[in-house]
Amino acid sequence: MAVAPAVKSQRIGERSEALAGYAFVAVPMVFFLVLQIGVLFYAAYISLWDWNIRSGPEEFFGLRNFERMLSDSIFHTAVRNTLYYTLLWVPLTMALGLFLAVIVNQKIRGQTFFRAAFYFPAIASSAAITVLWIFVVSPGGLFNEIREVLGLNPLFEALGYRPNHNWIGDYRTALNSVIILNTWTTSGTFMLFYLASLQSISNEVYEAAAIDGAGPWQAFWRITFPLLKPGHFFVATVGVIGGLQLFDQARIAGGENGAPAYALMTVVLYLYNALVPQLSPGYAAAVGLVLFVIIMVATLIQRRLFGGAPSW
Amino acid sequence: MTASAPAKPAVVTADAGPAGDRGRGLRRVIAYALLISYSLLMFVPFAWTVITSFKTLPDSTRLTFIPQPITLEAWEYALTNLEPSILVLFWNSLMIATIVTVSNLVLGSLAGYAFARLRFPGREALFVVVLATLMIPDQLRVVPIYILFSDIGLTIGIGQYIAVIVIMAISATSIFLLRQYFLTIPRDLEEAARIDGAGFFTTFWRVMLPLATPALAAVAILQFQGTWNSFFWPIVFLKNVGHLTLPIGLTFFREAGGLSNNWPPLMATVVVATIPILVLYIFFQRYFVEGIAAAGVKG
Repeated sequence: MAVAPAVKSQRIGERSEALAGYAFVAVPMVFFLVLQIGVLFYAAYISLWDWNIRSGPEEFFGLRNFERMLSDSIFHTAVRNTLYYTLLWVPLTMALGLFLAVIVNQKIRGQTFFRAAFYFPAIASSAAITVLWIFVVSPGGLFNEIREVLGLNPLFEALGYRPNHNWIGDYRTALNSVIILNTWTTSGTFMLFYLASLQSISNEVYEAAAIDGAGPWQAFWRITFPLLKPGHFFVATVGVIGGLQLFDQARIAGGENGAPAYALMTVVLYLYNALVPQLSPGYAAAVGLVLFVIIMVATLIQRRLFGGAPSW
Repeated sequence: MTASAPAKPAVVTADAGPAGDRGRGLRRVIAYALLISYSLLMFVPFAWTVITSFKTLPDSTRLTFIPQPITLEAWEYALTNLEPSILVLFWNSLMIATIVTVSNLVLGSLAGYAFARLRFPGREALFVVVLATLMIPDQLRVVPIYILFSDIGLTIGIGQYIAVIVIMAISATSIFLLRQYFLTIPRDLEEAARIDGAGFFTTFWRVMLPLATPALAAVAILQFQGTWNSFFWPIVFLKNVGHLTLPIGLTFFREAGGLSNNWPPLMATVVVATIPILVLYIFFQRYFVEGIAAAGVKG
C-alpha cells in the first residue's frame, strides 16, 4: 500500500512537468503555427482571388493570377535574372568560401585574425554595403580610379567599357556588379560553413595519404574535396535558396523597377511590387507560390546532384 | 597555390632538407603577403567610405587617400539637413533591434530549455514544427501576413513598428541554438535544485539560465545584428518617413531624399548605419564566428 502514493505523486510530477513544458513553449508555438504554418494555407487561398487590400476578396480568379504571370514579359525577365544570378553567384561564392576556409583551417600564425578579416564584409547591412558598392563602381568611383592608375583602361576599352563606365547603372553590367558584390560579402559566411565541415575530417586520413606519397594538391582534390560532400550540399542548398530570393541589393540599386532596363528585376522584387506599390495581394501571393515551387524543385535537384541526402 | 592546400604539416614533409627549407621560407613569405593583401582588400571599401565622409563633393570622386581639404561639412549635412533626421532613424533601428533581441532571448531560452529538458507529450513533433519554419521563405508569408496585419491596424502609424517587431519576435534559430546549449549542461545541478523543492521556472531561472550565458550572448549578438541589418520586413511595413530604420532610410535618401550622387553625406550615413555592428564585431568577434558556424551545422 505504501507504493500507491509514491506512484501517484510521480504522476502528479509528470503532469506538472508537462504543463510547465507547454507553458514554456506556448508563445513561440502560437507565433509559428499562425505566422509560419497557418499563413501558408492563407497564401494559397489568397492566390486564387482578385483580392482588395482593404475590402478582401472581390472575385474568384481560379488560376488567372498564374496565367497572368506566364504572359507578363517583366516576370519572365525577373525569372531569367534570378536564375542567371543564382547560377553564377552560388558556384563563385562556394569556390571562394572553400578556398578561404582551407586557408584559415591551416595552422598559420594569425589564424584568428584572418578568419575575422575574411568574415568582416558580411557584418554590415545589405543596405549599407550596397550603397557603398554603388559608390565604388560609380563613374567617378574607386574601381574606375584604380583601373586608370593601374593602366588597365586600354583593356577595358577593348571590351567596350569607357573609363567612366557606370557599372551598376548600365544594363549590361548591373547584375554582374551585384554578383561580384554579393560574392565578396557572402564568401566569409560560406567560409565559416565550410570550416565547420573541414574540422570534421580527421587528421589520420591525411597522414595515411602522406605515407602513400600524396602531395598537398592531390590530398586536396582526392581527400578533402570528396569528404566535404555534406558541406558542399549544405552550402549549395543554403546558397541557392538565398540566391533565388535576391531582393535587397536589387531594390536598393535598381529601385522598384530594377533599373536600368529591368536588369535588376528579380522574382522577389516583382512580388514586392505586386504587393506594396501596386496593392495586388492575390497576384503577389501567386508569385510567392511559384517562387516556393522553384525553390523546392531546385533543392530536390541538388539532392539528386549530390547523390542522395546526407545524414543530416 | 601552396596556400590552397590543406597543409597538415605531415603532408609537406616530402620536401624537407636545407634547400627545401629555404624554398618553403620564401613560399611562406609570399603566402603571408597574399593573405595580408587579401585581408586589406576586405577593409578597403569601408575605409574608403569613412575617408569619403570627410571629403568635399568634388574631392569625393578623386583618388585622394587624405581628403583635400579635410572637412566636416558632410557630417554636418548628414546630421542636420536630412529629413527624417538620421538620429531618428538610428533611434528607430536601436529600439526595434533591442526589443526583438530581448524577446528572442526570453522566448528562445524558455522554449529552448523546455525542448532540451522538460518531458511533455508532443515535444518532438512541436520541435519538428520549429525546425520546419526554417524552410518557409519569407516571400511566401509576406502576403497573408500583410493582409492579416492590415486587418488589425498594424500597417498604419505606430502599428508598423509593432508589425516588424511581432514578425521577428522569435526565430527558430534562437530556440535551436539555446536548446543545443542546454543539452550540454549536466543534469546534476537542476536535479539538486528540484530536490530542494524548486519549481520548474525557478530551476530554469536561477540555475540553468546563468549557466547558459555564452549561448545567450551568441543569440543576443546574432539577433541584434540580424535585426539591425534587416531589410525585407521593414521595407514592406515601415511607410511613414519618420518610422524608417537606417537601412530603409538609406534607400529613401538615395531615391527621394536628394542624396543620390551627393557621396560624402551619403557615406556618412553608411558609416552611422554600420558603426554599432562594427563595435559589436570588434568586441565580440568570437560570438559572430561561432554563432554562424553553430547555426550552420544545425541540419
